[in-house]
Amino acid sequence: MEYTLRRKGLPAIRPPLMKRIADASAPYLYTAPALILIVTVMLVPLVLGVSYAFRDVQLLNPFSGAFIGLGHFRALAEDEAFFRSLRNTLWWTGASVLLQFTFGLILALLLDKPFRGRALAQALVFLPWAVPSFLAGLNWAWLFNPVVGPVPHWLYAIGIMSQPANILSDPQLAMWGPIVANIWWGIPFFAITLLAALQAIPRDLYEAASIDGAGPVQRFLSITLPFLAPTIAITILLRTVWISNFADLIVVMTGGGPADRTQIVASYIFTQAFKRLDFGYASAVALVLLALLLAYSLLIVILRQWLISKD
Amino acid sequence: MASIDIANIQKSYGSHPVLHDVDLAIRDGEFVVLVGPSGCGKSTLLRMIAGLESVTAGEIRIAGKRVNELAPKDRDIAMVFQSYALYPHMSVARNMSYSLRLRKTPKGKILQVVAGAAAKLGLEPLLERRPRALSGGQRQRVAMGRAIVRQPKAFLFDEPLSNLDARLREQMRAEIKKLHKDLGATSIYVTHDQIEAMTLADRIVAMNAGVVQQVGSPLDLYDRPANLFVAGFIGSPGMNFFEGRYHAGERPRLEIAGGVGIPLETPAPIAEGDFTTLGIRPEHVVLAGHGPETLLANVDLVEPTGFGIILHLSLGGSSFKAFTHERSFLTASGTVPVRFPDHSLHFFGQDGKRI
Repeated sequence: MEYTLRRKGLPAIRPPLMKRIADASAPYLYTAPALILIVTVMLVPLVLGVSYAFRDVQLLNPFSGAFIGLGHFRALAEDEAFFRSLRNTLWWTGASVLLQFTFGLILALLLDKPFRGRALAQALVFLPWAVPSFLAGLNWAWLFNPVVGPVPHWLYAIGIMSQPANILSDPQLAMWGPIVANIWWGIPFFAITLLAALQAIPRDLYEAASIDGAGPVQRFLSITLPFLAPTIAITILLRTVWISNFADLIVVMTGGGPADRTQIVASYIFTQAFKRLDFGYASAVALVLLALLLAYSLLIVILRQWLISKD
Repeated sequence: MASIDIANIQKSYGSHPVLHDVDLAIRDGEFVVLVGPSGCGKSTLLRMIAGLESVTAGEIRIAGKRVNELAPKDRDIAMVFQSYALYPHMSVARNMSYSLRLRKTPKGKILQVVAGAAAKLGLEPLLERRPRALSGGQRQRVAMGRAIVRQPKAFLFDEPLSNLDARLREQMRAEIKKLHKDLGATSIYVTHDQIEAMTLADRIVAMNAGVVQQVGSPLDLYDRPANLFVAGFIGSPGMNFFEGRYHAGERPRLEIAGGVGIPLETPAPIAEGDFTTLGIRPEHVVLAGHGPETLLANVDLVEPTGFGIILHLSLGGSSFKAFTHERSFLTASGTVPVRFPDHSLHFFGQDGKRI
């Protein structure tokens, strides 16, 4: 800031030094409380966690903690279990997001049409989202359990299964257990956000289109879909990141088993950190996952910018 | 192009009726304006013709064919919405050609028709723009372009100028009139603005509370309003009304509140002692008097409009307005002499109907 006053015929007046320092530092002092808070609660743990990745931190070994450089990453490059969990993550995330979105969209389209008791239906649809994920996981694990749950018997009855077995213990099918639970749990998110976007579409656009000669399918393709596109893009991006990080259901329902068939990267980190108590290795895996998700998000952001600029 | 026949149309939402027995025959190429205050059912009637609202009872025929059960797209009509309802993610050209593309019209033909409509409406430099990059008036033009490319049997306008400012409204009004002259297409136009109704219409349908009040040419409605509602709705400033008791005899007069007697030059077709409402338009009030029976009105307010002067006057507590071009009244105060010439008086019975 320039406080020098220029007057005709008078020498320039400079305010005293202390005042100038106070003026210059004022904006930093105003932002300091927020900055300090952010640094202590976000940056410090982040840096600490990242530093673990380069150190040998094992909870049960009091002599660990030494700096080992890229040792964890070298081990990771040869870790078959890690690569399997990476493939499982793709499978888990892809199937969950796609099916959550599909059913969420169908539900939103149904709830968009007025009918008796719609308000109640909208409230009920939101319910699974409010169920704690651990409770949802336990519930579904029981539903899939042939001793206490009905699902295997139903599948047997309609001829899909040759005997009422627990799919969670079948290496070929186990992943479908948490995926089904995840779909049930995540549909409300898509249904509610897409419903909000649907209801923001001006009704007279549909009327204009129907007069122009568009049938229901053409109206959906030329009005509904273009209007929903930004919401669809942002919700799918968000859910992809969340779900690939979301280990709760897997930890509760299968614990990554049988034989690591349902182990995703996030649950692998959990297993490494809290079952093997190898915090250093877990941090290294987490760092790789972070890098992958950052790259994915960046890709989407670039894609979005490109789509907007093309507009 | 086609005629549109509306026979005994009724509309109710649940048990709440909004249109009562509307009958209307619109000739081929006619420009009909539905006018009335908001909530009178004029938009509902238009939307029923478009197929956007179901018909509770009665029949709508377009070109002689019953359309009650037809979907909007099968009625071969085009509609211009108050909000324009342009597709925001399509360019102007694609907005205009949407209906043609849906009907699988050949590309060459689409280009030709869109170019023709764009030339007619002055939209050529804007064809590649999105609606959000257009001004209100330009959007309005695109909405009209979208309607004319298809050459439908009829055009329906739902308060198309309400979202424009006064100057632009005037300009678009003239353009719509010119367009109708060029195309000669049957048009139904909904508005609450009586000036739009007067200037555009071949025939005006005045509606109130779901009932058609009067159908006729603009001057019919202005000169011979069928009832109090039409008399008050058409014209600006609105018609003055005096309620009073009629006294026939040697010097017929209307006794109004405050013991004032309005002298009538010739006897009115009203029985002695009957209550009646006398109406006179502000522009027909004569601000001069002669003879001993001259009425003196108090001047309450003077409103200059540039074009003329609106005087707010009162006679024995009943206030009324007079419109004059005489600039000397700009400084009027106290009282002015007024006269109500016989040939511009309207009488309405106690049921509100014209006598």
